[in-house]
Amino acid sequence: MSSTLHEFSKIIHQLRDNLRALEQHTNQLDLAGLRGREWFDILERKLIPQLDDNLYLVVAVVGGTNIGKSVVFNHLVNQQTSAISPLASQTRHPVCLVPHNFEQTHDLVQIFQGFQLIQWSSPEDPLKQDEQHLLFWKHSETLASNLLVLDTPDIDSDAEVNWERAERIRQSADVLVTVLTQQKYNDAAVKQFFREAAREDKVIITIFNQCQLPDDEQYWPLWLNTFCQETGVHPELVFIAPNDRQAANSLQLPIYPRSFEPVSPETTSEINSEAPPANTPANLMQVLSQMQFGEIKVRTLKGALHYLIEPDTGVPSYLQEIKRRSNEFRSASELLSEQELAEIENWPLVPNTVIVSAVRQWWQEQREGWSAQVHGFYNTIGKGVLWPVRYIKSLTTDEKRPPMEIYREQEWSVVLQTVEGIYDRLTLVSELGNELLTNRLKSILNGTSREVLLRILHEEHASFDFTAQLEELIDSEMTFFKSDSPQYYTFLKQLDQIAAVARPALSVGLFFVGFGAVGDVGTQIVTDTMIQSVVNVSGDVAGGAVTTTVGETAVSSTAASGAGYLEAKFRRFHAVFAQKRTEWLATAIREHLLKTLPEELKSAVNLPDSEDFQSVQNSVSMLEEQLSQLRISL
Amino acid sequence: MPTSELAQIEMLATVDRLIQQLKRWSEQSTNWKTAQQCQAVIQQLLPRLDMLRVRLESPLVIATFGGTGTGKSSLVNALIGSYCTTSGRQRPTTMEPVLIAHPETDLDRLGLDLSQFHVEQKNLDQLRNIILIDCPDPDTSEATEIESNLTRLQHIVPLCDILLYTSTQQKYRSARVSEELKEAAVGRRLIFVQTHAGLDEDIREDWRDLLSQQFEVPEIFFVDSVKALEDQLADRPLEKEFASLKEILSTQLGKSERLQVRRANLLELIQNAIDHCSHKIDSALPAVRELETFLKQQHLALTAQMSQELRTELLVSRNLWERRLISCVSDSWGFSPFSAMLRLYNGLGNLIASASLFRARNSAQVALIGALQGVRWIGERNQAQSAEDRLKRIGSFGLDDNKLRESQLLIDGYVQSAGLVTHQDHLSGSLEKIQTEAAHVEEQFLNDAGSKIDGIINRLAHKNSGWFTRALYETLFLSLVVYALLRIGKNFFYDSFQNESHILPIDFYVTAGVIFLIWSGFLVMMFTRKLKRGLSQEIYQLSDDLAQAKLAHGLFPHLEQECQQVYSMQHSLERMGGEVHQLRNEIASSKILGAWKVTEPTTGAGS
Repeated sequence: MSSTLHEFSKIIHQLRDNLRALEQHTNQLDLAGLRGREWFDILERKLIPQLDDNLYLVVAVVGGTNIGKSVVFNHLVNQQTSAISPLASQTRHPVCLVPHNFEQTHDLVQIFQGFQLIQWSSPEDPLKQDEQHLLFWKHSETLASNLLVLDTPDIDSDAEVNWERAERIRQSADVLVTVLTQQKYNDAAVKQFFREAAREDKVIITIFNQCQLPDDEQYWPLWLNTFCQETGVHPELVFIAPNDRQAANSLQLPIYPRSFEPVSPETTSEINSEAPPANTPANLMQVLSQMQFGEIKVRTLKGALHYLIEPDTGVPSYLQEIKRRSNEFRSASELLSEQELAEIENWPLVPNTVIVSAVRQWWQEQREGWSAQVHGFYNTIGKGVLWPVRYIKSLTTDEKRPPMEIYREQEWSVVLQTVEGIYDRLTLVSELGNELLTNRLKSILNGTSREVLLRILHEEHASFDFTAQLEELIDSEMTFFKSDSPQYYTFLKQLDQIAAVARPALSVGLFFVGFGAVGDVGTQIVTDTMIQSVVNVSGDVAGGAVTTTVGETAVSSTAASGAGYLEAKFRRFHAVFAQKRTEWLATAIREHLLKTLPEELKSAVNLPDSEDFQSVQNSVSMLEEQLSQLRISL
Repeated sequence: MPTSELAQIEMLATVDRLIQQLKRWSEQSTNWKTAQQCQAVIQQLLPRLDMLRVRLESPLVIATFGGTGTGKSSLVNALIGSYCTTSGRQRPTTMEPVLIAHPETDLDRLGLDLSQFHVEQKNLDQLRNIILIDCPDPDTSEATEIESNLTRLQHIVPLCDILLYTSTQQKYRSARVSEELKEAAVGRRLIFVQTHAGLDEDIREDWRDLLSQQFEVPEIFFVDSVKALEDQLADRPLEKEFASLKEILSTQLGKSERLQVRRANLLELIQNAIDHCSHKIDSALPAVRELETFLKQQHLALTAQMSQELRTELLVSRNLWERRLISCVSDSWGFSPFSAMLRLYNGLGNLIASASLFRARNSAQVALIGALQGVRWIGERNQAQSAEDRLKRIGSFGLDDNKLRESQLLIDGYVQSAGLVTHQDHLSGSLEKIQTEAAHVEEQFLNDAGSKIDGIINRLAHKNSGWFTRALYETLFLSLVVYALLRIGKNFFYDSFQNESHILPIDFYVTAGVIFLIWSGFLVMMFTRKLKRGLSQEIYQLSDDLAQAKLAHGLFPHLEQECQQVYSMQHSLERMGGEVHQLRNEIASSKILGAWKVTEPTTGAGS
């Protein structure tokens, strides 16, 4: 037997570790943690400490407020260990009676996790007001060696912390001494508490307290039957106690054993036809000591294990929840990916004159030796002679700013429009009612973060050196062109003509790519696709529309020669430059506007496929297997 | 009319006025989501208030309330003096509520759905002023079953005037019942009863402590209903506690108390709704505050920028300043040789300027040309609808499209988190609209600036052209003229005549003319320089003044209005809340009936 228990203990430990690892990731899913989930509390508070320890039974007296739990407890241990008060919800902390030398072989802290253990000093101890969960313990010489007996706080008063303490004790308990009264047996709070107990397969001993004997002798089976039907509890033993406060206070309350079989609702009438009950009070402690410890322990441990792997209460429900939530995240991110985030018509173009002069400059750098000197000489002369002309020209024209500055301004305007479009789109998405997205988008969309974004974009944009980038671009393009094509002399000759060429219209689409390719959303997940913004620049180029996307560098040169070729070449400068700029915009927007949203969504979506998730699943199925084998062997 | 009755009527009028105000408040149109939600709450409440007012004179509806097994039915039976509603040992006993009334009571007037009840009519004196309802319990039902005792109870409670709250030693601290009571108590009077006196101990002290946290607790009765019923059936005298409870219910809640109770209930309902709304509004208000702060900040930035631009432009436009100053001086001097000279120069200058003005799109120049002239000019421009010019002009003030778009973007965000709903594409209005607003703002700003500039010109002109200066310049100017004239005169009249010397040749006149031109030009130049003394300082002062000056509105006047409206709605709600609190305090707390505490804010919306 103990080897089997050991086996379970190993799996349970493993399961807990796996669960903890998984829990680390569930934050992104906005899921509540493991603590506070009934099955996890059972795992932590009952299975972990009790599976690999020596056998002992935890017996707890539980029930609603002011129905005599402490009275029953005192009778059970036959001493005034817990103070009795006519006022309700006075017992605020559990009291535990511990057999002699028990704590030397067992770790009480381990058994009652989450409680601060204090040695009992007076019956008033459990009445203390304290925010901490305290547990008072006391030695008992008379207690059977493997028995822990507890008095617990109530489960239905206005002090909710009491419920929590009682619940913790219930989770680690094996036997629940259930105190009921005619006023409370059908209360919702009480029923809820014991329904859980029944699901965890605790051994339940019912004591109907404050009965008005002999009148109630005919009613209690009806009450108990209702209680059993409502909660699914099947009491092992049933006792009744009369409403006698004096006797209760002086430890003289007679507790009569009764026999009871729950019946289905149709046959309720038969309950009354039982043999007249015996009227010799029972000694509760004796009854407890005579119980089959081993059998009970195995039963409750098995009950707890079953509870743990039950599809609707245990770990599977948690895993299911993760999957469900992850699916919600998927639909959220699909919502975002379905359409492009923004579409920009007419991305501004660098003035042709700037390109031309950049190309000329590149050309000059290419000249070598004597030729370069001659040209340099003529150029200097030309500049000197033409200076007055230029000066006059600059005086007469309105705009004296350099063309690149004008471009910068135009581009900024487009950037603003794009950001505006993205905000509009995100607003639209946030109003679609996907709660996960709405909450995340809210912080992205508010005024303060907009201010931050604009400031960052503005800074980056203003500090950007357009001329340098253009020169770099021209350099790489022209070098490629030089090695590729012999016609570049003609090209240069015709540059000035080209400057008059109509500008191409460029349109740019920014996408939020979640899964698969653009336009192929919502089908198969491609796990290794990073969620990112993809830029799609398309310009209407002579000889057909051309699309340049990130990473693509091939020149589109449909028209092979002549003005058409040059025109296409020229347009390519525009397109590539625009692409570079939109790439910057896309990255900036991703970094500063969407921030971690794409990654968050992605990892949330992928959680059910993660290793941690799998290993939890494996542990559960191992547990299941072990349990089913156990059933066969028994 | 007795004073007490007058006071009653006055009170009623006050309550009526309050309801009217509330109604008006709920009908205001607003674009703020939170306010709209609150208005919906109030509008839900209003018909119920009306119902209460209609019922003002009908018998009070008293219902039992308490956990299962606390003896609600037993208490009702004991009050009636006969077995009227089933009390039992099985839980829950009462599923269908029982309504007990006098045969003469007109039940239809109460607005109760009688099909929900098991109706019993008893010809008892104690039922003349009241209707008793035995309710199901609130604590056996779990979760939200549709046909549970709890939902049945929740349907009945809103129709009741007084709750007879029963509890026992076992149940008085039960969380579920307390929670339900919290919800149910609003708009109702309460009577607290500890039952099972025969079996249980007296826990009224502890119970009172517990209840006092939320309720006014005047008295708690401790009764044994079973014994009381047996006593009545056997014609024995009743126990004291029970007798007084019965006395209260049957006689004290007669006609006089009835009005009190209903009015207190009415006020409580109103207070609860107002508190709820206030709470909601208060929690949503910070976002609106943020929007307002941002608007103000934009406003400030706008004026600062405009005055900055204006200053640089004013500092540059020397020529215009000079012309304005000179014309001002020459106007004030009237006719004199030097002022005629000044006018001449000025006229020439204006001739050139008039051409340049219509080319100019510089706002500062417009302001400088003079308020009168400038406004006319702007007016003409606006009439011509030359949108392009207008845009260029606001552009020169740093209010270009990009700037406007930026602030629009930001404002959108703030508006969104503030929860203002608009039906436009953009929460802050379209770009064109903002441009128009910007032009308006600029116009207003320039008007301001224009009149201030006029002031500066007048001040400078007067300061720098005192009588001494005038005399000096007139003398200097005239001295040349007089000298030339004297020479010419002497030559003409005397020398050529007496001495027979030659008359002055044409060369002389040319030279004299040139010297005259140079001299007068020099004088005008010196004079203008003098006039301009202290100008830069004045300009700096002006731009500072303008930066401080408050524009009537910024670029988003409709949003500013919305914010104002939100505040005014919040204020009026707060005022009404204060009024209700005061009224509730004025109604003397009853010695018999408990209630939800005046100062205790409610958490939920009430039942």
